[in-house]
Amino acid sequence: MLEVDVTVARREFPVSARFRVEDGECLALFGPSGAGKTTILEAIAGLIDPLGGRVELDGRRLTSNPAASGPPGLPVWRRTVGLLRQDPGLFPHLNVSQNLTYARARRDDTEVQRLVDQLGLGALLKAAPRDLSGGQAQRVALARTLLAHHRVLLLDEPYDGLDHSLRRELTALVRAEVRGRGVPAILVAHELGEAQAFADVLGVFDRGRLLQMGEPSELVRHPLSRRVAELVGYRGFVPLAAGDGTGGAALSAGVHPDRVRLGAHPALGHVFVGQVAASRALGLHWEVDVSVGAAQVTCRMDDAAPRPGTTLHLTAIDPPLFGPDGQAHLSSRPQEP
Amino acid sequence: MGGSVLVWVVLLGPLWTLLTHLSFGTLGRALGAPGALQPLATSLEAGVVTLALLVILGSPLGYLLARDQVPLGRLIEGGLLVMLQMPPLVIGLLLVFMVGPLTPLGHLLSGVGASATNTFLALVVAEVYEAAPYYVLGAQAAVAAVEPRLEQQAALLGDPPWRALRRITLPLAAPGLAMALATAWARAVGAFGAVIIIAYHPYGLPLQVWTTLDQSGLPAALPFALVLLVVALPLPLLAYGWSRRARG
Repeated sequence: MLEVDVTVARREFPVSARFRVEDGECLALFGPSGAGKTTILEAIAGLIDPLGGRVELDGRRLTSNPAASGPPGLPVWRRTVGLLRQDPGLFPHLNVSQNLTYARARRDDTEVQRLVDQLGLGALLKAAPRDLSGGQAQRVALARTLLAHHRVLLLDEPYDGLDHSLRRELTALVRAEVRGRGVPAILVAHELGEAQAFADVLGVFDRGRLLQMGEPSELVRHPLSRRVAELVGYRGFVPLAAGDGTGGAALSAGVHPDRVRLGAHPALGHVFVGQVAASRALGLHWEVDVSVGAAQVTCRMDDAAPRPGTTLHLTAIDPPLFGPDGQAHLSSRPQEP
Repeated sequence: MGGSVLVWVVLLGPLWTLLTHLSFGTLGRALGAPGALQPLATSLEAGVVTLALLVILGSPLGYLLARDQVPLGRLIEGGLLVMLQMPPLVIGLLLVFMVGPLTPLGHLLSGVGASATNTFLALVVAEVYEAAPYYVLGAQAAVAAVEPRLEQQAALLGDPPWRALRRITLPLAAPGLAMALATAWARAVGAFGAVIIIAYHPYGLPLQVWTTLDQSGLPAALPFALVLLVVALPLPLLAYGWSRRARG
């Protein structure tokens, strides 16, 4: 089990996080670029020293204790923490085969062969890293990290720049390996879909703070603050009229494009009336911006988009409600277990 | 294209001139004279000792400068650049005031029966001062060209710093280090300005060229000039070829 409770100094803002990842569990830290997610991974790996706090792996402290004259933190090479980054970091003077077995004192051909087969690296073993495509290099780097048998697996936006099918394939493989080996794993991502595909637990990170953690789909349905809602894809916040189930408070409803139904369905949620402002094609669907008073919401439609200016009735299904302070209104918060 | 070839031919003009003014007969007579090859032996010995000192003392400094791990690194770098640009004759003059027999260091050396003027030690000291900036700055550039992220990656894969140095940094920096070493070799073996001031004896190849020129004239000095080139140049050329191949 990995326990993290650290604060790291950064020029713009301090970065702090507190969480626990069980063996075999996948945590995804999701948030915008520059939020401090990578900083947390680097502190766990020992590449940067935290200002305070601790990182423990199976009850063994990895970081030093700045407040006490205890033993120093474990150096990077003794932490058994693997970190896979967007830059595969293959050693250019070694061929693929040598890169794969870099961390292995004893050769276990069975496992090497299994991963080589799974990742389709068989024809590349003698190739130099400079001759690999981006996807191939990333697969080699992933195999090398897995073959090193770390006790913790950290993935820092490792699939950026790769095509979607390869991302899906690698995510599934890593999840299976994490389960099979029973190690804690953390993925850092700035794409929600990628984070959700990986995570048993999702953490939303912004400006150096872990804003919310939870089961991925639950977190997306019940963001605890307007900022979290914005980050997980809510594209409009419509003020509710007093008496519209608000108990007199000035609340606004968070509207997620995937949780809007065309037409008035009061039994499902809040009904709004608005005018189409703009629309654009999105795959087989249409994404339509609708002005609701001073607010603007976005919804997805299967049919052709209505003309701008068309009046629409929309139902936001069970939307989260937020108070003037940006925090979720109690009635919309999930029940604590 | 044609212009570039012309520039190359003109730049190598002195070399063509040397080759056209030498015959095998002159070369054989000059090098066959008694004691004619002693300066060659002296230059080789002093060059090898100089290179060993540079590798042992200069490589760590080059590494630390490249990785910003030395306090006042920019100041040290500036000092090396000053030494690089200082005229060798001036270096020789100042070395007399630094390690000459009347200086505290000179006294210290004479206490252990050594001297840094007109001795083999003096020759090595002069060569070290002329060649060291070339080697240290070259080594710094060679290490700086190796991405620190690769060393970090090796650490993440379980390598302590010394093992990452052996498995990652040195192999990747090797072509650059070889170039730095070869340049330092050429500078050391060809050192003249500082050498003529503090290490006239035992004289090596550059001083042999100079004294032969002084005493017997230009044609007599040419064979020894060729020997000096033959000793000084192959290593840089080999290193260049290797680094080109290693970098693809």
